[in-house]
Amino acid sequence: MKDIYTLARSPKILDDARIYQILFLSFFLCLGIGTRDWTLRPDLIAVVIVSCLLVQWCLSALVEYAKKKNDHICLTNNTQLSIENIFNPKVISSLQSALITALGLCLLLRGNNYTTMAIASCLAIASKFLFRFHNKHFFNPANFGIISALILTNDAWVSPGQWGTNWWYLLLFAGMGGIVLKKVGRWDTSVAFLLSYASLEAMRNFWLGWGWEVWQHQFMSGSLLLFALFMLTDPRSIPNATISRLIWAVSIAVVTFILQDYFYLSTAIFWALFVISPLTILFDRAWSAPRFTWKRMLVVRD
Amino acid sequence: MKPLRILWSCFLAITIFMVGMQPAQAFCGFYVAKADTNLYNQASQVIISRDGERTVLTMANDYQGEVKDFALVVPVPVILKEEQVHVGNPKILSRLDSFSAPRLVEYFDSNPCEIRAFDEDIMFKTAPQAASMESGLRQERSLGVTIEEQFTVGEYDILILSAKESDGLETWLTHNGYKIPPGAKEILQPYIRQNMKFFVAKVNLTEYDQQGFKKLRPISIAYESPKYMLPIRLGMVNAKQEQDLIVYLLSPQGQTELTNYRTVKVPSDRDIPEFVKAEFKNFYTSMFQKSYERENKQVAFLEYAWDMGSCDPCSAEPLNREELKQAGVFWLNSSSRNLRSPRNNVFITRLHVRYTGDKFPEDLKFQATGNRQLFQGRYVIRHPYTGEMNCSAANEYKRSVRDRQEREVQTLASLTGWNINDIRNKVEFVESQPIPWWRTLWNQ
Repeated sequence: MKDIYTLARSPKILDDARIYQILFLSFFLCLGIGTRDWTLRPDLIAVVIVSCLLVQWCLSALVEYAKKKNDHICLTNNTQLSIENIFNPKVISSLQSALITALGLCLLLRGNNYTTMAIASCLAIASKFLFRFHNKHFFNPANFGIISALILTNDAWVSPGQWGTNWWYLLLFAGMGGIVLKKVGRWDTSVAFLLSYASLEAMRNFWLGWGWEVWQHQFMSGSLLLFALFMLTDPRSIPNATISRLIWAVSIAVVTFILQDYFYLSTAIFWALFVISPLTILFDRAWSAPRFTWKRMLVVRD
Repeated sequence: MKPLRILWSCFLAITIFMVGMQPAQAFCGFYVAKADTNLYNQASQVIISRDGERTVLTMANDYQGEVKDFALVVPVPVILKEEQVHVGNPKILSRLDSFSAPRLVEYFDSNPCEIRAFDEDIMFKTAPQAASMESGLRQERSLGVTIEEQFTVGEYDILILSAKESDGLETWLTHNGYKIPPGAKEILQPYIRQNMKFFVAKVNLTEYDQQGFKKLRPISIAYESPKYMLPIRLGMVNAKQEQDLIVYLLSPQGQTELTNYRTVKVPSDRDIPEFVKAEFKNFYTSMFQKSYERENKQVAFLEYAWDMGSCDPCSAEPLNREELKQAGVFWLNSSSRNLRSPRNNVFITRLHVRYTGDKFPEDLKFQATGNRQLFQGRYVIRHPYTGEMNCSAANEYKRSVRDRQEREVQTLASLTGWNINDIRNKVEFVESQPIPWWRTLWNQ
């Protein structure tokens, strides 16, 4: 008989939703480049991926090093400690998240120069280490990178119309997004956002006297769906409790609606997420729930 | 009774109603007869120069009916005063058009028996066409409609109206001699609710006769607004057919793109057969139609994106400072506080939108981007060398030309949808004698 309580099932690779996310985002990237006439440059994609991975590696190795140093304050062999940290499985595993951020940036952010893309990538990853509260980062890294590039550089832009409004793409996003959200259990957030944003726009369209075809056109935007399914639902940075996630998603919908329709901001959804993200801290205080971890360690009784 | 005639056209994809005092059945029908004289039968041309929130919008005018019947109604985001409206020189549109038009480039093969010869570039350009307008109205106030401004600029009498309800605006326009097509009320309402104003222009016949212009000149309006859009929905009210709109977007930053529709490049840099030189316009219109259908009729096409300081190859001289000013470029030499936008820089984006009501349910929304990638619609003709060739390389050359010609035929067929056999019949294929297979084996 196996020892009880202590045996953790070693996680299978497909238990990790990040693998799905990496596969799907890479697929979208190839699809966009192949079929959507994007002006994406391979060299800029490389810059984004390399800088995201490098910064993640360095910073998480540094964090691990600092942790261990605290734990073994009297340990003298620093060299061995740092080499261990560089190849620490935790550090290596965190590269997956960095790759997701990199792919998100490649899909959404456009720029002319290496520096622009590098600034966005470095700040995106650095935000995970800088803006933390109770050991949880509260900005979506890719979103933080996009906003930083929009503010700090003069050649960064986002193309909201880049996916068009084809049914085929929408079904694809919805299907793949659904798989990831089922894995991470955050579909409620996407649904709350889409429903509340759709209702607000429907009310505005009704008040203005526009037909349903306008509303339908607004909601068939591939970029909107991709944002709602893949960026808004980052389980590590959004509130932990269901109720707080719902309120959080509705707030983002309201801010997006205001920025889009009353301030005419074409990047409204990114700004809305950026502005609301810090509220995660308050939401987590108000409604507590266990934090999300990518790999669920299941305790087995036998 | 003298029939009332109204042209509700889409002049500026912007909603422009052509309105008048004559029979109502002619809505949007005016352009139909011109199908064989123009490249596109319902084309409008608009220039938008924009830096930050400052905008200069120029609406071209190729209206060719009776000037007294001309009237135009355009929703605008703010109330415009007299000094914000300007009547410009029609030449500026043809200058921008020829500078940015898709181009045909030809190269001549050199004699394969000579060591070196120079390529010669010759260029031809296509010239997509402009739009038009017309007016006639009396003033009167009632029904929640307020005349915010009223003035005459050049040959135009201009009113800036604000309205509370579309019923009132519709009645007001009808009472003042504007025949509004059915369905217009529903389209006007959203603009009123968005607090937009209405720019209404008709021709002042006295001024028009005095100035002696044969054609109506383009109207430019300058305003500041965060809204970067072009209303196209009014122009669609009565139009069943597809309408063409060419927008020249000038920015100090880089390319301008649509945010609520896809912006797609037209096919470019393709080698096509020699005979296309004689029918380039025909080729371009067929190719455009094919691309339009392939993209499910719901995208805007990018035909040109370039820094206006240069061109390569040039289909027309770059515009000089004075001409740029006429096109509405206001930031040159200005000491702007915005350090991020590079001064003395003009980037042109030429978008070609073919739209119908069902595929373009929303007005066009734009955004300026920092994208400085250059793009041009460019098609290449390569003329084979036809002089005497007396060397062993000649046969090899002829074979390669024949292969190239076949590839060009296939490219043309796939670009335009023309019948491949018809194309083959028009191509003068180079005669080449087959090389015996053993010759290459033993290098004879």
